Amino acid sequence: MLTSPRESSGEVTRSRTAGADPVARRARRRALALVLALVALGLIAVASLALGVRDIAPADVWNALVAPDAANQDHRVVLEQRLPRTLVGLAAGVALGLAGTLVQGVTRNPIADPGLLGLNSGASLAVVCAFWLVGVTAPIGYVWFAFLGAAAAALLVFSIGAAQPVRLALVGATVTALITPLITLVLLRDATAFNLYRFWVVGSLTGRGLDTVATLWPFVVVGTILAVVLAHRLNMLALGDDVARALGQRVGTTRAMTGVAVVLLSGTATALAGPIALVGLAVPHAARRLVGTDYRWVMALAALLGPVMLLGADVIGRLVLPHSELEAGVVAALLGAPVLVAVARGRNVAGV
Amino acid sequence: MANDLMTTYAVAAGSAVRHLRAARRRRLVLVLAACAVLLVALATLALSLGAASLPPGRALTALLGVGEAKDVFIVHRLRLPRVAAAVVVGACFGLAGALFQSTLRNPLASPDILGIASGASLGAVWALLVAGVTGLAVAGAAFAGALLVAVAIWFFAWRRGLHSIRFVLVGVGFAYLCSSLLAWLLSNAEERVAQSALLWTVGSVSDIRGEELALLAVVAAVLALAVSLLARTQGPLALGDDNARALGVHVDAARVGSLLLAVGLVAIATSFAGPVAFVALVAPAIARRLLSDGGAALLASAGVGAVLVLTADLVGQHAVLGVSAPVGIVTGIVGAPYLLWLLATNERKSRA
Repeated sequence: MLTSPRESSGEVTRSRTAGADPVARRARRRALALVLALVALGLIAVASLALGVRDIAPADVWNALVAPDAANQDHRVVLEQRLPRTLVGLAAGVALGLAGTLVQGVTRNPIADPGLLGLNSGASLAVVCAFWLVGVTAPIGYVWFAFLGAAAAALLVFSIGAAQPVRLALVGATVTALITPLITLVLLRDATAFNLYRFWVVGSLTGRGLDTVATLWPFVVVGTILAVVLAHRLNMLALGDDVARALGQRVGTTRAMTGVAVVLLSGTATALAGPIALVGLAVPHAARRLVGTDYRWVMALAALLGPVMLLGADVIGRLVLPHSELEAGVVAALLGAPVLVAVARGRNVAGV
Repeated sequence: MANDLMTTYAVAAGSAVRHLRAARRRRLVLVLAACAVLLVALATLALSLGAASLPPGRALTALLGVGEAKDVFIVHRLRLPRVAAAVVVGACFGLAGALFQSTLRNPLASPDILGIASGASLGAVWALLVAGVTGLAVAGAAFAGALLVAVAIWFFAWRRGLHSIRFVLVGVGFAYLCSSLLAWLLSNAEERVAQSALLWTVGSVSDIRGEELALLAVVAAVLALAVSLLARTQGPLALGDDNARALGVHVDAARVGSLLLAVGLVAIATSFAGPVAFVALVAPAIARRLLSDGGAALLASAGVGAVLVLTADLVGQHAVLGVSAPVGIVTGIVGAPYLLWLLATNERKSRA
């Protein structure tokens, strides 16, 4: 997906001349991982439309999508409830997977994720202020607060810490340390805001209508395009600032562009689904484990695995409890922790 | 001739090293002295401010047990325990943070980010919301939560030795897992109980007195003594495993020992004071920048942590809009901007 035709034909030629050399094997392995991830995403998306309190056959799901019948109860469930949350999950999942990869690439820190750069806390503070000061309660109203909060936090973090990867991560954590108590202060004073906030902060795909997705999808598209462009630059940056500079790269520009992409992507994800933990952290590590450290491939796979994980979490959350649902954010954390443990126990974990 | 030149170089190098060492020692003494002076000044302020305001002179004579019985009571029973608790808790968190960060060689590795603090919060909130207990049992649950999470991280990160990146990654996974479960517990709880549980997760030093304070101080002192025996290994460890081994350090033993002590410090401090947010992240970062010698800055971190928590407690009691705010809210607001300023200003010198 992210390799140019020139690149892949080059790998094919090399594999022909050298037989079953490691390069060809790696190319096959990468392609296989990508195809499998794509299949998994398709299956999960169908499952997300079909499964729940009321199980609907895939054929009926298809009918509901192509020939909706307003009188049919199943069709209405698919269109009014499951389609929106599937689309929210897709958009937020892609955004989180890519944002996590970008953040780890630019900070060169394996534990960095958008949350650690202060973006989630910025978004949370803005949403809390929306609840507290403005009295906004509808999702379409507070998505903009979440988005602007994330952007403001990112601006602060990148303007202070942009010059060094280690410092960027440290500044991000410090800004989180600054913002989190402010959130708590508001919550301790305002019971109404606390009541709204505790349901937002769990992270969930429900309750956001199609209108939020319809408003925010362009941000995901632009962020994805930026991520595609940046993949090659991050490969050079992984060799260290000096080497990247020697290879003719403007390191500062790369960092700034990454910052913009991360804000677009993770701001959107947080606005759509709340601060979902661990997807942005676990997905890039899992992708790196499968396709190696080339950011073009990691990025492609992360964009697929992100929604697989988020939608998977949502579907599981619908099925585990008999009469209620577990929010996607909780299940994503329960799924993500073992993924992270498995990645950490792998042989070559240091490859960031 | 050549020999002479060599000798000259060796002598020059030797005197340069001596100069550097002397400069480092001077700097350390300076920072520690500044911490001590600040602590005394802040403590005097804390003893004299309050509902019944005493002039500093009267507060100090009351501290010695002379003067009016009412003054002695106020100082000894009400204010001194709080000051002592703030100092001990701050020193514990600062020291633990410095140990984590130098042993794991990651400036972000602090109990907040590694999940040990969220484990304590989860334990306490579970005790409050699900088990329905209060008082010392909550502290016990917090202690158990912190230790359980630490043991779990240890168990999952151990693979033929304890590697920094593994420990950190698994820890971050557990941090998100715990905070997700915490958010879920809060979102499912009754409104009033949820708010009191939220208050616990903030951290406070206002209710530590008598036997609790004595227990905290004794355990902290024993652990700090043990740390001082290990401190010699921290410098070489910061140079990387191979270099440390070459310098004669038993790398695995040193790492296991210092992590155990750090976990112990965090667990004891958290179980009494709650997870006083971000002191363990911010204090060592500030201390390292004040010393700027690339070392672990153990003593200075403990000093900065104590100053930070005492300042935060003072500000929280007396400065925020006439209402007292728990110390955990203020530590972030007081410490984070200072660290950000340090990060933004010593651009060139900084070593994160």
